[in-house]
Amino acid sequence: MTRPVEVTPESITERFAASGFVCPPEVASALHLAEALGKPLLLEGPPGVGKTEVAKLWASYHGAELIRLQCYEGLDEAKALYEWSYGKQMLYAQLLRDKTADVLAKAPDLASAIALLRDEADAFFSRDFLLPRPLLQAILSKKPVVLLLDEVDRSDEEFEAFLLEVLSDHQVSIPELGTLKAASPPRVVLTSNDTRELSDALRRRCLYAHVDYPSLEDEIRIVEARVPGIGAALTDRLVRFAQALRKADLKKAPGIAEVVDWALALTVVGADALSPAVLRKTLGALLKNREDLERVLAEPGRFRG
Amino acid sequence: MIEALARFLDALRAEGVGVSAAEAVDAARAVEVVGLERRETVRLALAVTLAKDRASRAVFDRVFDRFFAPPRLPRDGKGKGRPAGVREGATRKRRPQPPEESKRRAPADRESERGKLGRRPGRLHRIVRAERRREMAPEPRHRDLTRRMTKEEEREIAREIPRLVKALRLKRGRRRREARTGRPWLRKALRRATATYGVPFVLPAQRPRRRGVRVVLLVDVSFSVARAAGFFLLLAGAFLEIGRRARVVCFVDRPVDATGAIARWMRGRARPGRPLAAPRPGDGIARGGVSFADVLSGIDGLNLDAASDYGRTLHALARPGYRVRGRDALLVVLGDARANRFDPLPWAFSDLAASLGGVLWLVPEPASRWGTGDSALPLYLPSIDVLVEATDLSGLARGVAEMRKRT
Repeated sequence: MTRPVEVTPESITERFAASGFVCPPEVASALHLAEALGKPLLLEGPPGVGKTEVAKLWASYHGAELIRLQCYEGLDEAKALYEWSYGKQMLYAQLLRDKTADVLAKAPDLASAIALLRDEADAFFSRDFLLPRPLLQAILSKKPVVLLLDEVDRSDEEFEAFLLEVLSDHQVSIPELGTLKAASPPRVVLTSNDTRELSDALRRRCLYAHVDYPSLEDEIRIVEARVPGIGAALTDRLVRFAQALRKADLKKAPGIAEVVDWALALTVVGADALSPAVLRKTLGALLKNREDLERVLAEPGRFRG
Repeated sequence: MIEALARFLDALRAEGVGVSAAEAVDAARAVEVVGLERRETVRLALAVTLAKDRASRAVFDRVFDRFFAPPRLPRDGKGKGRPAGVREGATRKRRPQPPEESKRRAPADRESERGKLGRRPGRLHRIVRAERRREMAPEPRHRDLTRRMTKEEEREIAREIPRLVKALRLKRGRRRREARTGRPWLRKALRRATATYGVPFVLPAQRPRRRGVRVVLLVDVSFSVARAAGFFLLLAGAFLEIGRRARVVCFVDRPVDATGAIARWMRGRARPGRPLAAPRPGDGIARGGVSFADVLSGIDGLNLDAASDYGRTLHALARPGYRVRGRDALLVVLGDARANRFDPLPWAFSDLAASLGGVLWLVPEPASRWGTGDSALPLYLPSIDVLVEATDLSGLARGVAEMRKRT
């Protein structure tokens, strides 16, 4: 066991800030309570606002390992929880063929041979042949871990229902082995981009924080922290521009990481103002959709404020 | 505190935010953890444990502000300015000063405090009025869609739609049903036979899909009802496959088939129309980055600035050339039936209704105004099967639920 880390909203904000992440009070408070109540935390918000980043920093805050499960449509228990290592089982069965023959030689008739096999076959369904996937890894881990279930909204409703057991009891049932319970419950962070309405049952089991795009001041601080040496005037202008874009009903609104990328791009080309020529050169770092690009380049003045 | 919290939870539930017993326990533990010293900390702690999506968070904030009122403005007279419905005690608990002290305060003291604020009566007045408005504002789904509202307000209402769709179970069910006769259902036969080795072998039949019913949405998109029209189409589109068995006809002064444009919009593939010169109702109702107002401006033949002409529209639909027909077709009209002094041609409507399986009419106007002024609703009434008052989002949802029953 590592030493317990003291958790207060202030200490979270401080530590996150040291890594260049401006933590909204909402999130700091949610993390603090998730720790105090021992509950999973659901972070919801548009893509690109740093939800995943929160989980990563949360892991490093506790000096814990981050176990990440990226959810997607069609993700099932076998890929999320565990699988039997079929190849290994086959290999062992082959190598141990003589041994099995020895064991079976003792049996006088078929019925007793089957009885013998039944006892021995359990050996092939033991922990040695188990391939733990992220969920089981998190539960079995002796060291403290942060389990990140990324983009839960992408998974199917069946998988969501399956998650409920894991989230509320920190245990899973494996038919061949019985129920495995976590020695120390892992810290769980779920993120969702809100593309699908998550079930109420899942929401009830989690604490919830909505993460939105940062305010103008916060985003300026983020850019200044991530892109050292960028001028204050340019930062102000580019962040205003990006925030105006978010309000403009684009197909894909720019996330924080994209704003930072764009700021880097602007410093690389040595720009000090957002002239049409500069925009044409660098805007690809910010907008990732052709229609959006064309729309903005057609009348950049609308967003320059 | 537990008692105050329990009453707060009741207030939340009364506003439609579901709070389970487990969440109530979480909330109490959370408050225990953070303490009661700072109002904003308490707010965050309760929000994290009780408000589990964005829409509930907005409701939560409103209820919290109303319930745990901050000692923000000096009030003359006790209890004045506190909205009705909040009991004594709940707010008093959050006051930093004990009540005795405030009672003992000299009147002159209070006088001077009022004098200080009195220098800026305009500002204080504004604060109080804004506060009032915020406290009294109805829930998004109960807001009157016919009055003026900003784009941001429209967006706020639009955020309610997924929840309503879920609550009404509007999503199309994928499950097929078994029937005694019909087409053989091979997949099911195979699945069932594997369980019993095919003894006895039964060939199940599947109930045929209901193909016949067609739905025509006849939607008034004139200035006064365009907003309701946008929300209505989003709700209706959640279970109707617009373009396959359902058609959309928009009209102001004449009907224009908008099926393709609306279907594309619902799928998030609409092209943005011409940029709008002035804000219009419906520009906050967006799908895939394109607003309803944009979509309307891109539909050819639709004159959005005209006055709506019900007579001409219904007459055009009743003409043989227009394919709105069929004993099994359902006509759903959304409109206020304001004839604008044009002839409402009730006979055209009764002709049309007679050739259809049913007529459902959603009126985005309070029932108290039906039949007043130039409303042609009474004239159309004999041919209408179901009439729904749909001034707000929940009214529209009621109408859509009726529609669902009939398809």
